[in-house]
Amino acid sequence: MATTEDYGFLRPPSNDEYEPVYRNPSSYHPLHTFRLPMGSDRHYQQQYGDMYFLRLARLKPAVEQVATAAWGELTIAGEHARRVDRVLDVRQGELCWMTGTVYMDMPLKPNILDDLTKENFTSAPPPRRTYADPSDPSATQIMMEDESGRVLLTGNLLSSTQLATGAIIAALGTETSNGEFEVIDIKVPDLARQPQRWERGEAASADSKKDDKEASNGQGKIAFVSGLGITGSSSDTLALELLTDYLLGYTGIDGSEDASKITRLIIAGNSLGASVTAEAASAGTDNAAKKKLAPKKYGYDASAYNSSPITQLDNFLAEILPSIPVTLMPGEQDPANVSLPQQGIHRAMLPRARAYCAPPPSGDNKEEDVGWFDSVTNPWEGDVEGWRLWGCSGQNVDDVLRYLDFPADDSGPSIERDDSEARLRIMEAMLRWRCSVPTAPDTIWSYPFQTVDPFVLETCPHIFFTGNQPSFKTTVIEAVVPPRLDGDTDMTDSAGESSATSVRLLSIPKFRDTGELILVDTESLEVEVIRFGTFAGQEEKK
Amino acid sequence: MDATMYLAENVLNERRTVTYRSLSRALKVHAHQAKQILFEFHRNENAKKPQSVRATYIISGIQKHAEPPTTNGHANDEDEIMQSSPYLPSSMPNQDAASDTVRLSSIILARDEDLEDAKATFQSISTIHVYSVQPSTLPDLNALTDVCRETTTAYAQDDPLECGKQWGMIQNRNVKRRNGARPPLPAAPVSNAKPESTVPSKRPFQREKSESQPEDSKPASDSQSSAKSTGKPAAPKREKSNLFSSFAKAKPPKPKPAESATPSGNDVMLDDASEEEQEELFPDNGDKAPSANRESKKDREEKLKKMMEDDDADGAPTRAHSGGATPTTPAKPAELKEEVTVQGGRRRGKRQVMKKRTVKDEEGYLVTREEATWESCSEDEPAPPKKKPAVNVARGKGGKPGGQGSIMSFFGKK
Repeated sequence: MATTEDYGFLRPPSNDEYEPVYRNPSSYHPLHTFRLPMGSDRHYQQQYGDMYFLRLARLKPAVEQVATAAWGELTIAGEHARRVDRVLDVRQGELCWMTGTVYMDMPLKPNILDDLTKENFTSAPPPRRTYADPSDPSATQIMMEDESGRVLLTGNLLSSTQLATGAIIAALGTETSNGEFEVIDIKVPDLARQPQRWERGEAASADSKKDDKEASNGQGKIAFVSGLGITGSSSDTLALELLTDYLLGYTGIDGSEDASKITRLIIAGNSLGASVTAEAASAGTDNAAKKKLAPKKYGYDASAYNSSPITQLDNFLAEILPSIPVTLMPGEQDPANVSLPQQGIHRAMLPRARAYCAPPPSGDNKEEDVGWFDSVTNPWEGDVEGWRLWGCSGQNVDDVLRYLDFPADDSGPSIERDDSEARLRIMEAMLRWRCSVPTAPDTIWSYPFQTVDPFVLETCPHIFFTGNQPSFKTTVIEAVVPPRLDGDTDMTDSAGESSATSVRLLSIPKFRDTGELILVDTESLEVEVIRFGTFAGQEEKK
Repeated sequence: MDATMYLAENVLNERRTVTYRSLSRALKVHAHQAKQILFEFHRNENAKKPQSVRATYIISGIQKHAEPPTTNGHANDEDEIMQSSPYLPSSMPNQDAASDTVRLSSIILARDEDLEDAKATFQSISTIHVYSVQPSTLPDLNALTDVCRETTTAYAQDDPLECGKQWGMIQNRNVKRRNGARPPLPAAPVSNAKPESTVPSKRPFQREKSESQPEDSKPASDSQSSAKSTGKPAAPKREKSNLFSSFAKAKPPKPKPAESATPSGNDVMLDDASEEEQEELFPDNGDKAPSANRESKKDREEKLKKMMEDDDADGAPTRAHSGGATPTTPAKPAELKEEVTVQGGRRRGKRQVMKKRTVKDEEGYLVTREEATWESCSEDEPAPPKKKPAVNVARGKGGKPGGQGSIMSFFGKK
């Protein structure tokens, strides 16, 4: 075999000394926004309604500010748009605007009251593609709710605007003769304040900030992957092995230098394959009768529990951890609690990777170390290389997508339509709603928060990512430039820090399906994709 | 070991697949060098005899825009012009909605026969290297996954923090690993379950692994000999004998000749627990005690073992005498036995204790009996004081409580 080029490796072994390659250090400061109280402090008896009130109380000022700026001076046909404090104070025929929570009543939406009356609440509702009834779009009702009550929204604008339950909006319009509110315009809170890069290091201590900055000078990359889907069987894709080789620098695109720039790997959920939990779930419902006959066994039962997926995940992590720090988020298929926020996969399940965890918190030591291997919550936010990251394993986007009205001329329900653009739009909408998981607690199971709604985005992240999406997509969004009274909208840069707000949106594909690893440059936030795969050659064609 | 030798042995003789990483780990060479060794081997062997060794290659670079065949693709529409989307809320003008064009690199694994085809799909190739060599073409490339997994298991004892440099892994100066226990090795073969495996330090284990063959039979005899040494019950040593007894128990019960000088762990336990009791128990039992005293120790052992087996078999805690005709309920010698298993460093077990049980017989008399029952215990709690011999106290008026009590006790037994 004579090759014209040997690429450095297609040649007899040499006695070259290979210089050790060192990975760039990682600056990492996770936030514990979504950490639930431990043990006996975690209660599930509270009412979910409080979450909506907290959200409304938190976001109402922001929306009203935007709405006042837009509609404060507005006069239509000689009538001044009046602000109404409560939705029930709206007078018929009077131009006004009001603020409240969107509630969408959709025919196929799971309804806990229905479930209770039909007594089929024992098992989780089957996943649906959409909550809307395509044959009867008018069955979807959009309402606005606040502390006082609800009012039904109508108007042509709603058919072109997509909303989801839980979003806080301001609506301008009039009440019609049959008591509905006809919407002319809608305002949302828009992007929250975005922290400066390295902002949190400053608060902690000037020294560490300086260290972080110096440590990560030069180029670095943050790697994102999701949906590893390890099943533990030999049918697992080889791509995971290739990913390991790449991350460890054994296989590189340009030698191992490019991989050494990756300072951290973030695994955004669903590290284990669907079959693991799905089979167990189906077995639980379908074979319930069959199972009853079997003698009850407690503890470890090798016939019912297959430990191989989690063992393989542990091996994968233990393999890469000596070289690269890892942030592991759980996903809906992972062994963590189902309701958001999911708490981290317990380290006891990862006996080999556990050695790289932070030491277990000891009672008096409040100052927690950050682990080299950090098993975090889902959703999760934190500072990596000075940038604020906010990510979820995909449940939030998947669920909001079910609220969306699919066009009637769709290519049919059987064909998986390319909704990746819609998914990116949803992510953008979430940022502008300042509500990252709007549909919790309505259609996403959630912890009943009492004092704070952590799903409200208090600050706008620099990188907003969602895992387990069908395909990779990215875009950059910027804050809406607030209309200035002097009409000077060009001088955006001088308008203050909010105008400089821009967010990198990442929709991270399932690695198992696409074999794609996403790299984000830590200086420019430019994105690149590395795809791992096998070449289907003559053997497959046989 | 010489690289060529290693490859010849594994690929040609054993007909195994060798990847550059398994080679790098086996020979402790840099991964890049391992790639070259594989290439050299593949070339030389095929020069001798074409097609005798097959290889797979990694190609990395930038692929042409065509979709790679194996990723179940989505249209690569990064450059597609965005149509006005119905999902865009009117209040959300999107200034930069068009997705950026993103650099997409690929790392693709291909068989040697497909190498040229695979290369043709690339717009620019930055590197090609051999990934694995195997004696025949792999029908399914995913089989390489298993090789990788075997490799990680086989060389799990190599600390990646120390050996990583040798293998050519990207080093990290800041890695934080908790000291203390090393991460446990992937499940070692269960067959050589040794008492030593409970020792937390994993360092010696690594050495043992290589020597495990000759040592295999050793632990058993070890445990026996040490069990023997604790044959005479001494309180502080008890724990040790229990520990070993639990291992001995895991084995199928060997039919042991009564003359056997080395009692198994179980026998030791029984002996230990029963000896003193029998002495104080049997006096109550008029007909049995003298004979029991006369019995040789070995006979007793054998009997107790049988008793133990019976108990285990039917789950009944005691054997009752079916002496329906005897006017007084025969007091049964009650053994306090313990079965101990070691789980995760904590000893769990069950022990037989005497419990008072009151039953009402058909004539309305209350009969109180002491029965031996099993209860779970852990090592931490002290063994309860040994009860006095089981004495049936038939409480009630009337002439013949005893007889009825004994019938009840027979049926009432569980």
